[in-house]
Amino acid sequence: MNQCDRFGVSEEQLRALVAEGLRAGGDWCDLYFEDTSYHDLLLRDGVVGSGGYHVDYGCGIRVLKGEKTGYAYAETTDFPSLRNAAIAAGSIAATAGEAETAVGSENRSRPRLRKREGPVCASKGRGPAQQDVFRPKLPWSGAAVDTYYQELKAWEDAETAGFIPFLKRIEAGIRARDSRVLKVVAILSYSVSDILMFNSLGELTTDHRPLGSISVQVIFQQGKRTENNTVSRSLRMGAEFISDAVLEDLVARAVEGMDARFEARRPKGGQMPVVMGAGASGILLHEAMGHAFEADFNRKGQSIFSDRMGQRICRPGINILDDATVPASRGACNYDDEGVPGQKTYMVTDGVLTSYLHDRISAGFYGVAPTGNGRRESFRYNPIPRMRATYMESGPDGTKEDLIASVKRGIYVDQFANGQVKIGEGDFTFFVKSGFLIEGGRLTMPVKDINIIGNGPQALADIQAVAGDLRIDEGTWTCGKEQSVAVSCGIPSVLIGNLTVGGE
Amino acid sequence: MITDKELNFVRKALDMAVRAGAQHARATLSLSEEDLVATLDGEVDRVTHCADRSLSLALFVDGRYGSYSTNKLDAASLEGFIARAVAATRMVAPDPLRVLPDPARCCQDALTGNELGLVDPAREKVTPADRQNTALSASVLASLHGSQPRQTSGCAGPLPLLAQTGPSLLQSRGRLWSGEAAADSATPTEAKYEIISEEGEYSDSVYDTVVMDTNGVCCRHSETSFDYGVEITIESDGEKYSGYWWDASSRLAELDAPACGRQALARAVGQIGSEPAPSGRYTAVIDAEMASKLVSPILRALSGYAIQQNNSFLMDSLGRQLFPEGLSIMDLPRIPGQTCSKYFDSEGVATVEAPIVEAGVVKQYFINSYMAGKLQMAPTVEDATRPKVLPWPVAGLDRDAILRRCGSGILVTDFNGGNSNPVTGDFSYGIEGYWFEDGKIVRPVSGMLMTGNFLTLWSRLLAAGDDARPCQTKLIPTLAFAEVDFSG
Repeated sequence: MNQCDRFGVSEEQLRALVAEGLRAGGDWCDLYFEDTSYHDLLLRDGVVGSGGYHVDYGCGIRVLKGEKTGYAYAETTDFPSLRNAAIAAGSIAATAGEAETAVGSENRSRPRLRKREGPVCASKGRGPAQQDVFRPKLPWSGAAVDTYYQELKAWEDAETAGFIPFLKRIEAGIRARDSRVLKVVAILSYSVSDILMFNSLGELTTDHRPLGSISVQVIFQQGKRTENNTVSRSLRMGAEFISDAVLEDLVARAVEGMDARFEARRPKGGQMPVVMGAGASGILLHEAMGHAFEADFNRKGQSIFSDRMGQRICRPGINILDDATVPASRGACNYDDEGVPGQKTYMVTDGVLTSYLHDRISAGFYGVAPTGNGRRESFRYNPIPRMRATYMESGPDGTKEDLIASVKRGIYVDQFANGQVKIGEGDFTFFVKSGFLIEGGRLTMPVKDINIIGNGPQALADIQAVAGDLRIDEGTWTCGKEQSVAVSCGIPSVLIGNLTVGGE
Repeated sequence: MITDKELNFVRKALDMAVRAGAQHARATLSLSEEDLVATLDGEVDRVTHCADRSLSLALFVDGRYGSYSTNKLDAASLEGFIARAVAATRMVAPDPLRVLPDPARCCQDALTGNELGLVDPAREKVTPADRQNTALSASVLASLHGSQPRQTSGCAGPLPLLAQTGPSLLQSRGRLWSGEAAADSATPTEAKYEIISEEGEYSDSVYDTVVMDTNGVCCRHSETSFDYGVEITIESDGEKYSGYWWDASSRLAELDAPACGRQALARAVGQIGSEPAPSGRYTAVIDAEMASKLVSPILRALSGYAIQQNNSFLMDSLGRQLFPEGLSIMDLPRIPGQTCSKYFDSEGVATVEAPIVEAGVVKQYFINSYMAGKLQMAPTVEDATRPKVLPWPVAGLDRDAILRRCGSGILVTDFNGGNSNPVTGDFSYGIEGYWFEDGKIVRPVSGMLMTGNFLTLWSRLLAAGDDARPCQTKLIPTLAFAEVDFSG
């Protein structure tokens, strides 16, 4: 279906809405149409006994005046409702008064239509500096097309009934591998979003975003003791996601490490070296530095990194990226939610801070090209700089085992639940579900359920070794900065010289 | 807000579900409208207008169950949506325990939605200009600079004093009372800082929801809300510190937005020079603003879903004394005029004033109709609506009084991340706050972790204050615990 038809709007109407949004003097107007259907099936107590689906449909209209934002949305796409939303959003121009104008008047009155439908390919790397993002000379104009997520088997065409035995096989597989299993809850959820974006440059962009996720929670009982484990897998793909490979992975990880979990104790708390295992330890990058590199925090002077562009912030050889181009990743974006193509952004290059993560507002402020990080939870929210898939490239310092062997007394961690950061102070935390003490270069006592706290710049500077085993985690990571957005993270095994570990 | 036409629409949706093959159904229509003005450094930065609507359906079809929602509410879309929902429900396994609640247990006295007096008609008269004035007049920076755009580098010094004496003292070196209490207590300390940024957000909203089912249940809840929150970031000696504060009320006249900026700044300034205290086992006083973090896990552990799945550290706790006599938690869902009071839960079941924990004894699980069948127990309500921790050992204690009773330890004013294990009750949280001695704040601490087990923690309860903030959903006062492990 043509996306304009899907939303019941014509290209003429799109132009008229933008003109309406800009009528009061705004510099920029964009429209974000969304049609999302979300489905879920729940297995509990051995039966798939409930399911559902949810429809979310509407259009968000944003008007910028300088760096100030007016935003409104409508849950219908009839023209009068959209026009009212455009007028409401456009009121920011009157509020902002004499704010600097960044776009020419010809764009305000008659935006040109440039259609960029379907799969795309971003220019890789960062765009040229000093680019005015409100002007039409965009670095990706005319780029070749590709896609970072495919839907080989459309979710809409898939037989929901076929998913029920799949969930049952997950439970059966888990129970077959561990006799201590008491309860299994498995949730399959999948969503498909069709997006249409149009802006005052006349750019019309569409995207089709599938996402499949499975979360499994298992309760184990050993004697009188009870423990739990939660595993998940989430990928931007079609119903081909329902596969034996995904099933095997979930089953294996659901029971993995449970012997140690039952033996685990709280360590003695305090400051110590921490070896972070490859994969989910990427939460370190997300919390300790990723948020602090989001350009809105820097534009407002709030980030601890706001005056460190171009400076060395960690040892040479370390590269940290935020990447929209990881195929099928939760963080993959053909386009961000401002219509900027997905791309790979090096935040730290050879140990030097080289880029923040920009939406159009911050890119305009800094005079650089947007990096494709303008993302939003839904049409109900205005886009802001957000991460996608954040990871560190592999390093030269051998293997995870080498890093562990280099620590006399410390801790090794590899499974996490959540994290948080205070942007100004740079203090970050992440909650460790499981790990081990390191004593004399060997893993000894298992540990669990501890929080670790550190300071972003200090932790970056204190990365002492990076192994060559980068892995990007495929769990259901969701970032909650004002809005919930799907992301992913990854890291090779790293050794940080000193973090504070919670304990007794 | 919900019109008679929309009420009829909900009834029609139920009829459509029955015609499509459902034996029973519950429909919930929710409408909301919100206007928001965000400020950055004393100027308007963002204006948004939101109007949401959603129809949720719980369908009971041939002994099977499904839940669905949509915001496409035109008749043609809805008919197709419901037909598809009924078909989807038929694909899942039968579950005879899925039933509508007994109508006798359902709410009968929420007819207009405003029985609790939570709708302030003043919202209808609030203009866009009023919103901007409220947001700007609450701004600390706007109050310093009047209508002039600010230069952050020009703002130095202790605002609580400046606010009283005017901007002429902007360049002076400041003297500020340490800690949140600012000028009303504690020891004065030198503090020189710049305000780096101030982000404020004012919003007013109205929410209206109606729950109907095929057993004839119909109950409605309406509530206005006026909110203001502000985060201020300051810099001192090259280090940044941030402070956040907020207020909310269902009545516009009760919103104290200007106080939020002063409090946020005081919280930021109070952290200047903070560093971890040595690791150790100390008395912990948890500020009322943050104390719900230690009560919410108890409420989650008493949920029927958690109990039924053995995913609770309070298994088999009903009727048992697992907490000290000093802990009593009441659910007070029906107090008129109090934000978040509500006459019914999501099933339409009437809420009741009831003890959750009484003198340390667990008195209630939260059991909805489905979990009642699963657990073979009598149903209660789906969740606590407005839980309140009662004062102990005496009424009337506030934070300062509790600090004096405790002598020395760590006052926790903010949590930074962390989590807990629902099965074991083990927790570990990042914290910041103050070291206190002889009942007085001595110095700020940050970068620390507070680690333990909820049952052990609560067994060491020293005091529960009488100072819960009424704007919060959970009425949790300042709490004090003995012998808590801190790592720094």
